[in-house]
Amino acid sequence: MAFAQLADEDLMQLVRRGDAQAFEVVYDRHSTAAFSLAYRMTGTRNTAEDVVQEAFLSLWRSGARYDRTRGSVRTWVLGIVHNRAIDALRRSMVHDRRRASDEGIEERFEARERTDVEAARRDEARDVRQALGTLPAEQCKVIELAYFGGFTHSEIASMLDTPIGTVKGRMRLGLEKLRGQLGGLAEVMS
Amino acid sequence: MSACAHRDDAGSYVLRALPDEDHERFEAHLATCEGCRREVADLQMAADTLPLAAVQVGPPPELRDRIMAVVRSEAELLSAAGERAGEPDADPAPAARTPRPRRRGLRWPVLSLRPLAAALAAGVLVAAGVVGGVVLSGGGDTSTVTGTVQIASAPDARASLQLSDDATKLEVRKMPPPPSGKVYQVWLKRPNRDPAPTTALFRVDANGSADVEIQRGRLKGVDQVLVTAEPDGGSMAPTSDPVIVASTA
Repeated sequence: MAFAQLADEDLMQLVRRGDAQAFEVVYDRHSTAAFSLAYRMTGTRNTAEDVVQEAFLSLWRSGARYDRTRGSVRTWVLGIVHNRAIDALRRSMVHDRRRASDEGIEERFEARERTDVEAARRDEARDVRQALGTLPAEQCKVIELAYFGGFTHSEIASMLDTPIGTVKGRMRLGLEKLRGQLGGLAEVMS
Repeated sequence: MSACAHRDDAGSYVLRALPDEDHERFEAHLATCEGCRREVADLQMAADTLPLAAVQVGPPPELRDRIMAVVRSEAELLSAAGERAGEPDADPAPAARTPRPRRRGLRWPVLSLRPLAAALAAGVLVAAGVVGGVVLSGGGDTSTVTGTVQIASAPDARASLQLSDDATKLEVRKMPPPPSGKVYQVWLKRPNRDPAPTTALFRVDANGSADVEIQRGRLKGVDQVLVTAEPDGGSMAPTSDPVIVASTA
């Protein structure tokens, strides 16, 4: 069977039955996005590797929980990675050395052999970064601290010396604007 | 658009910025508030794009090798366990002679890859020489078999099997965690045969507790349930002495 030709959702059906080859294709398709998110959040390669390993093995063992009506496989995988990374951050309480330095990193997108996929990924990344860049600085800040930093709204309120209610409001307003600007992409991702 | 007082929590919720207790409270609220559910669905779409903003960095090839080694090992184990489960029992009931359908989905116990902090030192898992009493109790459709925990350093550890028509379960309490890099694995021993592997792999929580479903339905033709400590991903044959023995015959 040509696994590489199958859609993610079809591969997940095979993963659910314990097919290691199907899992391998899912890993190859999404491991770069998963590792990048984990690295951005945790700031160290070792912790990022641990997070990705936990997330993919959890996916392997709980493939039956994937529900295609609730989003794409990619979004599901990244959701698992996000949760695991937050757990790791909150366990370790290492909030000061997590910032991954982007300097000197050669950005790599999946599917280098497929230039159309790679180009699409680059476009998506550019769109999201641009959209974040157009948010008011205080909204962008709380979203980044929460999503990538793993901080709770009360921790962020304390850090910024701002009332919790204001922090919550900025998060919601920022996400609403992001959703408005990214429209189609947001729907495709979900 | 939600006019609910909890509306502002929706943003924190999709970013996972609510403290755990607030997160649970808000989830309970979502069950009853249509407006907040819509708000969460809208904001979730925006949150789902955020990973794209991270600079894309490839994982090291060794990570792929490590993950695939565990996956292939578990796939092999699963396959073997499925085949063994289809073996005729010593005293097969008519239904048991019918080949079992392939399992519909994996039901691995949830495992943490990170060993618990207090990992046992190598060599701690030794037979304690305790003569195990088997206690059968319970009435009706469920019975309990008390197993013997053979870990010298954990005299308070307890294990029992819950046998019913629905499922066969193992409960352990006050068990030490398996040694670093290892996981507990359940085996089914039939008379005059080597122990057959199961896909029941488990670790224990901070209290040493775990509730593990060994299989659906009752055990048939099995005279002992064993637990050993095995490398992550489980083994095809035991690589260490049993730490739990429960005789069902």
